[in-house]
Amino acid sequence: MVAKALAPSRSLLLAFWLAGGVLLAFLLLPLLQMAASQTPARLARVAAMADVRAAIVLSLEAAFVTTLLAGLLGVPLAYLLARTTFPGKSIVEAVVDLPLAIPHTVVGIALLFVFGRTGGIGAAVNTLFGYQFWGTLGGVIIAMLFVSITYTVNAARVGFDAVDPRLEKVARTLGAGPWRVFTRVTVPLAWHGVLTGLTLTFARSISEFGAVIILTYYPMTAPVKIYDLFLQFGLDDSSAMAVLFLAVALALFILFRYLAYGRRAAPGGRV
Amino acid sequence: MSAAVELERISLSLGAFALRDISFALDSGDIFVILGPSGAGKSVLLETIAGFYPPKSGTIKIGGRDVTSAPPEARRIGFMFQDYALFPHLTVAQNVQFARPNGDPAHSRDLLARLGLAALANRHPANLSGGEKQRVALTRALAMNPALFLFDEPLSALDAPTRDALRAELKSLLRQLGLPAIYVTHDQAEALVLADKMAILRDGELLQVGTPAEIFNAPASEFVANFVGIETVLKGETLAVSDGDARVALGSCEIHAAASRATRRVLVCIRPEDVALSRAPGAGSGARNRFDARVVEVAALAHLFKITLDCGFPLVAYITKQTYLELGIAPGARLTASVEAADVHLIPQE
Repeated sequence: MVAKALAPSRSLLLAFWLAGGVLLAFLLLPLLQMAASQTPARLARVAAMADVRAAIVLSLEAAFVTTLLAGLLGVPLAYLLARTTFPGKSIVEAVVDLPLAIPHTVVGIALLFVFGRTGGIGAAVNTLFGYQFWGTLGGVIIAMLFVSITYTVNAARVGFDAVDPRLEKVARTLGAGPWRVFTRVTVPLAWHGVLTGLTLTFARSISEFGAVIILTYYPMTAPVKIYDLFLQFGLDDSSAMAVLFLAVALALFILFRYLAYGRRAAPGGRV
Repeated sequence: MSAAVELERISLSLGAFALRDISFALDSGDIFVILGPSGAGKSVLLETIAGFYPPKSGTIKIGGRDVTSAPPEARRIGFMFQDYALFPHLTVAQNVQFARPNGDPAHSRDLLARLGLAALANRHPANLSGGEKQRVALTRALAMNPALFLFDEPLSALDAPTRDALRAELKSLLRQLGLPAIYVTHDQAEALVLADKMAILRDGELLQVGTPAEIFNAPASEFVANFVGIETVLKGETLAVSDGDARVALGSCEIHAAASRATRRVLVCIRPEDVALSRAPGAGSGARNRFDARVVEVAALAHLFKITLDCGFPLVAYITKQTYLELGIAPGARLTASVEAADVHLIPQE
C-alpha cells in the first residue's frame, strides 16, 4: 500500500478553488453567453452564407499549412537550441520569443515592408514568379507563421530537452547514423513536446486577426469575416458566425490534444 | 597476433579537461577495468573510444582496424550506459531489432531466447527488472555483432545486493561471449571482481596499468595506493638492502620489506588486511615485522573493524568481529601488530 503524502490544508485548497473558480467562470461565461444567445434559425442562415463557409475553410487551410511550415522550420531550430551551444544562443532564444511581445498590428505592418508590393521579397517574388503575398493564401500564412512559430519552437525544445542524450548516443553505437537516430529515437521520444507545439501553433494561427488583416484583408479568414459582419450587420450575424467558427476550431483543438495525449488526458491534458 | 583493442597515445582536449597519452592493449576476452575518482575522465575516455569525441592525436584500433576517424555507428561497439539506456518507446524485441534494421526479426527472437528473454519480447523497458534490462541491453548490442563492449558504470545506481548479483551475471556472460570489454567505475570492489586487467585514471591520465593483484598490492604512486584502499602510506628511509630484504626506517622504528632494490627515500605501503593483531608479544605468526602497538581508535565498517594503532608510526588494521571480541580491543589497549615482509610494499621516491 502506498501512503499518501501529507495533503495541503483544507482551507488553503478551498481558498484556491475559489480563486480558480472565478477565473474559470471569467473564461467560460462570455463564450457560453454568446453561444446561448443564438437561435437555430440564425445559425442556419449564417451557416448557409457562402462567404462565411469560405472564410472558415480558408482559416483552416491556412492554419494547417502554417502548422506544417512551423514543423519544418521550427523543429530543427528547437533541436539546435536543446542540443547545442553556440555563440549568440541567448539572442536566438530572444528572437524566437519576440513575436509574443509585438502587437500584431505591428507584425502586419512590418511584414508589409518585406512581403508587400514594395517589400524586398514581395517585389522579387512577384517579378520572378508572378506570385503576390497580398490578397492571397500566402499572405495569410506568412502572417500566421510569424505570430505562432514561437509555440512550436519552444514546446518542441522542451520535448527535446527531456530526451536523454545517452539514448541518442547508444543508438549511434548500435549502427544508426545521425538522421536515423533523429527520426527513430529523438523525434518519437520528443513527440509529445513537438505535437503540443504544433497544436498551439495551429490554435494561435487560426485565431490570428491583427497581422492578417493588415497584410492581406482579402481573402477573408474567419476572424476577418467576423469583423466584417460585425461592421456591416452588427452583433447578431457576427456572433452567429463566431459560434460556428468556435465550434469548428474547438473540435479540432480537442482532436489534436486527443492525438497528442491519448484517451486518458483528452481534452485537458498537460501542456 | 595483433591485440583485439589497442589505444596508442590518445590525447584530447575538452574545455579545461584533457586526456593525455592514453595507451593500452587488450586481448580478446579481456575485461579491462578503469578505476578512477569522479571527474577523472572515465566517461570521456569511453566516449572517445566509441567515437563521440575526436582525439587530438593518437590512434584507436579495434579488431586490428584503425577506427580513429570512423563515426560511432561504424565502430561495432556495444556501449552499456548506466541504467543501460534502453529505448523506452520500443518493446524489448524492437530494441534488439533496432541494432539490425534490415535483419530478419526471427534472428532477434533467437538471440532473445538465447539470453532467456523470449517471454519479455513484447514488454517495454519500464516494466523490466535491473537484471532483465542488463540482459536486454547486452542482447541489443550483440545483435549488431560488436567487436568490443564498453561499460560506463552500469551498476552504480543500484542497491548493493542487486549490484552484486548483476555484476556476477555480467562477468559470466562476458566470459561466455569472449569479447573484450572496457569497464569504468569508481568502485574498487567492482575492479577486484571483474578485472583481468585494470588501470587507474586520474585527471585524464592513466597512472598505472596492470593486473588487479599488481595494482592493489604494488601501487606505483601515492595516489594509487590511497585510491586502492591502502590505509598506511608513510615516508621512510632505506637503511640497507641485501638478499631481497630491505630495512627501512620509519621515524624511530624499523621495518623489513621484501625488495631487492630500493631508492633511499621510499613510501612504505601496508594494506590494512595484512596487519595481524595479537595480545601476547611472542604469539602469532613468524612475521619479520612486530611492533608494540597502542589502540588509538576503533571504527566499525560494513563487515570488519578498522583499528587505528600507534606503533611509533601510525598503522591501520582491518580485523574480523571475532578477533575484535577475542582481543577485547578498546582505545588505549596494548597489542602486538605484525606484518609479513612480503606484504610491505615500497614505492620509490625520485
